[in-house]
Amino acid sequence: MSRLDRAATATVIFLGLCFGVFFIVPFLGLINRALEEPSTWELLNAEQVRQALWLSLWTSTFTVALALLFGTPIAYMLARAKFRGIAFIDALVDLPIVLPPTVAGVALLTAFGRRGLIGEPIEEWTGFTFGFRTLAVIMAQLLVSAPFYIRSAKSGFDAVDIQAERVAYTLGASRVRTFFRITVPLAWPALLAGIVLCWARAMGELGATLIFAGNREGVTQTMPLAVISAFEGSLLGLAGAIALSLILLVVALVVLFAFRLVAGRAAIR
Amino acid sequence: MNLDFDVACKLGDFLYEAQFEVDDEILVLFGHSGAGKSLSLQFIAGLMRPDRGRIELEGTTLFDSATGANLPPQARRVGYVVQELALFEHLTVEGNVSFGLPRGADKASRTRELLSLLDLEGFENRKPKTLSGGQRQRVALARALAREAPLLLLDEPFSALDDSLRVSMRKELLRLRKQLGLTILFVTHDLREAHFLADRIAVFDNGRILQLDDRGTIFKRPASRRVAELTGTSNIFSATVVATVSDGLFLEVDGLRLQADGLDGRFVPGTRVDAAIRADRINLRRGGEVRNGLLAVVSEEFAFGNNHTLHLTPVGAGPAVEVEIASRPYEVLGVKVGQEWLIEIPPGDLHVMPAE
Repeated sequence: MSRLDRAATATVIFLGLCFGVFFIVPFLGLINRALEEPSTWELLNAEQVRQALWLSLWTSTFTVALALLFGTPIAYMLARAKFRGIAFIDALVDLPIVLPPTVAGVALLTAFGRRGLIGEPIEEWTGFTFGFRTLAVIMAQLLVSAPFYIRSAKSGFDAVDIQAERVAYTLGASRVRTFFRITVPLAWPALLAGIVLCWARAMGELGATLIFAGNREGVTQTMPLAVISAFEGSLLGLAGAIALSLILLVVALVVLFAFRLVAGRAAIR
Repeated sequence: MNLDFDVACKLGDFLYEAQFEVDDEILVLFGHSGAGKSLSLQFIAGLMRPDRGRIELEGTTLFDSATGANLPPQARRVGYVVQELALFEHLTVEGNVSFGLPRGADKASRTRELLSLLDLEGFENRKPKTLSGGQRQRVALARALAREAPLLLLDEPFSALDDSLRVSMRKELLRLRKQLGLTILFVTHDLREAHFLADRIAVFDNGRILQLDDRGTIFKRPASRRVAELTGTSNIFSATVVATVSDGLFLEVDGLRLQADGLDGRFVPGTRVDAAIRADRINLRRGGEVRNGLLAVVSEEFAFGNNHTLHLTPVGAGPAVEVEIASRPYEVLGVKVGQEWLIEIPPGDLHVMPAE
């Protein structure tokens, strides 16, 4: 190995170590503080925390279900259809990924809010408003996180050999049967990755929810909103913020490892 | 089993126009890639819709532009195997083979029958990924045979296999065909494969069928210079008819007079023609009297396994020729570059075609 190569190797290792420390220390700090704080265990069981956790878990899961329902056909179409303008739609799907979530929140407000494009006539006709309801939480999560699922599902469908689908047709399988028996199983690892990304993004959703759904305890206050509230001086205080963060960290780790396990098994098949 | 096919389709700048019939036989669709061979199979399978024409299988109209009839692929009852096989990698061998079978009591027994037919017993629960190339091939064939389709469409199914395996799969296919009475449309760009499998051959070029004939005729009596080129005839000469006799023609090729057997009314003296002879039909002689003789010197030689290909340059008048000779005579004769030989072009093997 030349001197230059040795120096390069040493530099790479050094940079890696530096970043590794920077990466791991915040999590250690969080865990450390949580363990030091005498009220952590009490706070973990507080009504507001339990409400926020439950709300976050079920809305994110519901959001994923909606993303699957609406996003799967779109992803399949983007992967298979050939018509002018498909590249434009494809790019549009990425918009919420690139856009700051607060902008998505403002956009939702101007569309579905009480003075919004659709929100105003709907309120006039039916008296129904979207804002400050759990529905608004789900809408915010869906807009921001569905693109992660669609993107991943599309690349999964892209990777499925079209010939396999065509052969299935010649074997008498309808398009629907082919989709569920051939396409979905072959694209499954990518679909699963998309589901996890979408769910995680929905769990972490803050900006759009805050603006569009507001921050109402028990109704629209998800975990990230509860963390913000704790900082801003709600009953939970900094210790509460730490306890909430600890929960989110544990949930993230569990999901991550479960995903690795399932995806690994899917890849081995 | 009878397939009637007459279809035209424009795809961008590519114009496809072909008409043929298949009747209890193996028809090989032969040609370079992009000639329209695979496209023909896709039209028949219903995976591509032609602009106009008519496809009929055993009296059932699969497609007819006049009436707007167009059966979906699911209803066409043809077995379709593609080059990449497109096995369902997430299913077992059994799952693949039984995929096309309707649910019912005899599904399991029919699957077992197919597995045994293709020598796949014991592999039922394996995933395709864990199989060898030949086994994967058998799975694809068994899967295509499951619906007892009267017509099998094979799109270069063996081209990804190595040589020895390809040869045994071809034999296997002939066995299956005999055993099951299959009618097969087989697409290939491999001359030897076409020759080995075909009852008849359709030579495709640029979206059209240049010639459709039985195997012997395609190789010995190509309809045109292009067909001769595509089917591997290496000696194609531009010639002029100088005289006709009771049982043949006299041609002039690069100043040399050659005789061709067989009379064809189209060729009167003065006609420009193409004359072709396959390299393996030409003989090397040390001397003596021959009907179509030509003195030539070996200028180059190449060895291809059991065959040697010689390039010979004429000493006097006449064309340069390529001669293919088996190893044994090559060694006995002691052929070397620089030697002079008397080339014999048997009049019976010299084939005359209208000039292009």
